[in-house]
Amino acid sequence: MVNLGVSIGELKLKNPVIAASGTFGFGREMEKYYDLSNIGGISSKGLTIKPRLGNDVPRVAECDAGMLNSVGLQNPGIEYFIEHELPHMLSYGCVVIANIAGHQFEEYADMAKLLDKTDVDAIELNLSCPNVSSGCMAFGSDASMIRAVTESVKTVTNKPVWVKLTPNVTSVSEMALAAQDGGADAVSLINTLLGMVIDIETRRPVLKNNAGGYSGPGVKPVAVRMVNEVFNSVDIPVIGMGGIMNAADALEFMIAGACAVQVGTANLVIPTACNDIVISMEEWAQNHEVEEISSLTGCLRRW
Amino acid sequence: MPQQIEFRCQIVKRQQPNASFVILTFASPEIASLAMPGQFVNISADKFLRRPIGIMSVDREQGLFSVGIRIQGEGTLNLSVLQPGHYVSLLGPLGHGFKLDNYDRVITVGGGTGVFPLFFVQQYCQEHGIEGIAVCGYRSAAESILTEEFTKTACAVSFASDAGDMTIAGHAGHALAGVIADLIEKKADLSRTLIAACGPKIMMRTAAEQAAAAGISCQVSLEERMACGVGVCLVCVCKTKGSDGEIENSRCCADGPVFDAEAVVW
Repeated sequence: MVNLGVSIGELKLKNPVIAASGTFGFGREMEKYYDLSNIGGISSKGLTIKPRLGNDVPRVAECDAGMLNSVGLQNPGIEYFIEHELPHMLSYGCVVIANIAGHQFEEYADMAKLLDKTDVDAIELNLSCPNVSSGCMAFGSDASMIRAVTESVKTVTNKPVWVKLTPNVTSVSEMALAAQDGGADAVSLINTLLGMVIDIETRRPVLKNNAGGYSGPGVKPVAVRMVNEVFNSVDIPVIGMGGIMNAADALEFMIAGACAVQVGTANLVIPTACNDIVISMEEWAQNHEVEEISSLTGCLRRW
Repeated sequence: MPQQIEFRCQIVKRQQPNASFVILTFASPEIASLAMPGQFVNISADKFLRRPIGIMSVDREQGLFSVGIRIQGEGTLNLSVLQPGHYVSLLGPLGHGFKLDNYDRVITVGGGTGVFPLFFVQQYCQEHGIEGIAVCGYRSAAESILTEEFTKTACAVSFASDAGDMTIAGHAGHALAGVIADLIEKKADLSRTLIAACGPKIMMRTAAEQAAAAGISCQVSLEERMACGVGVCLVCVCKTKGSDGEIENSRCCADGPVFDAEAVVW
């Protein structure tokens, strides 16, 4: 019998598979296809203080081993979320994480205050969305800002606070340490890599926003390296993501140092991806006589 | 009870009516029994993302459904060379199709690949005793497609081509004008008539404007670059008017692809 349970600090998940923000909505579409209590958790679509319509289309550009998106944080706003989506999400029977993105420094704490009064299990700070013109990624590529934003949120809530990191920086471990210094309970990485796809006939970017975030299996080696680097740098839990398509990919992240993983773009190709990964992960553990999946975290045998 | 979304379906037939188009027929009793006109499947095409393709027809008894594909990029090229016997992963049936049941007469207005899902509309009309009139626009007679099938299935047809080598010169919107004029001349009751359009945006807009002018209901099938096809990624949005008149984003895949023409912000 395999124990797939993992802990992210105080928070317990029945298995390490979390649906990543922006690839799962608020779960309503996916609950038609499988029982969402089978997975470890869901990170909500990125939320902002005010509702956002997002960017103009085209918002997606396919590329080798993945895709770029420039959705631009289309969402109904934090208040609508708390009133109309969160209660339903909390009924799924898995851990629920609210992913929040601010334009202004103060907005993170303002949203966290509202979430503190709810039963949400954790708050993930999106300091790394590449698709909005102001804020967000500007915060995520400045260590002093990461620390300050994290501190400002920790001051107003007792909920676990995860800081989602962008790979679009010189030193991701410097950013992770800043999050830790600010009091983060965990870091999650990586968000998308900033990229561009050009139509050579029109000589225009495929995305109306010109650039967008690259995700999918192509980013996985970059993400695994960053997770391992961060795992070796910080003392707080690391949640790994970036191009996970199957259980083997997820296990790679755990071996690199992740205590849990997020599955994102795979949901857009295989709607049942998270569920499939949990099943295959259990089979793998059984076949390899791994009794506790959490024992894999950081077991990398570096040369 | 969870609903199965992904199916591995065998290709049972491949037809290539001309150099631009391929018609693939898949065995899938589930999709064949559930699919409604205007819905689509998201097909794995040996590329990272699936390709959303409108359902062209179903054979509910045999458990088969067909799709028409225009070969225009790597993904559709990959699909076009698949042979009978091959298995393909696909998601479906997806989206909201045409709402046909309140109408006695349906005029389909299609251009390019838009004629494929509209053939399914005509098939449905034939089976449900709805008078179907098919208006199709093509680039040229050589690139025309499904003309025999529409002629057999619909009560009346009108074909147009940009090249001017079919009955009417111009696009399907021009042919539609003639059809509407005929109906008005015959003093036909248009209160339970629907115009169902699918094709280039300019053609659908023309159809919607003519429908509005004649007081005929109109539904259009919109298209945007898509990823998931099930409504979670929010990349395929189009601007629509909400019930309060406010502009909002609708997802072509999950809220559409078929919308009331009045709700569309052109």
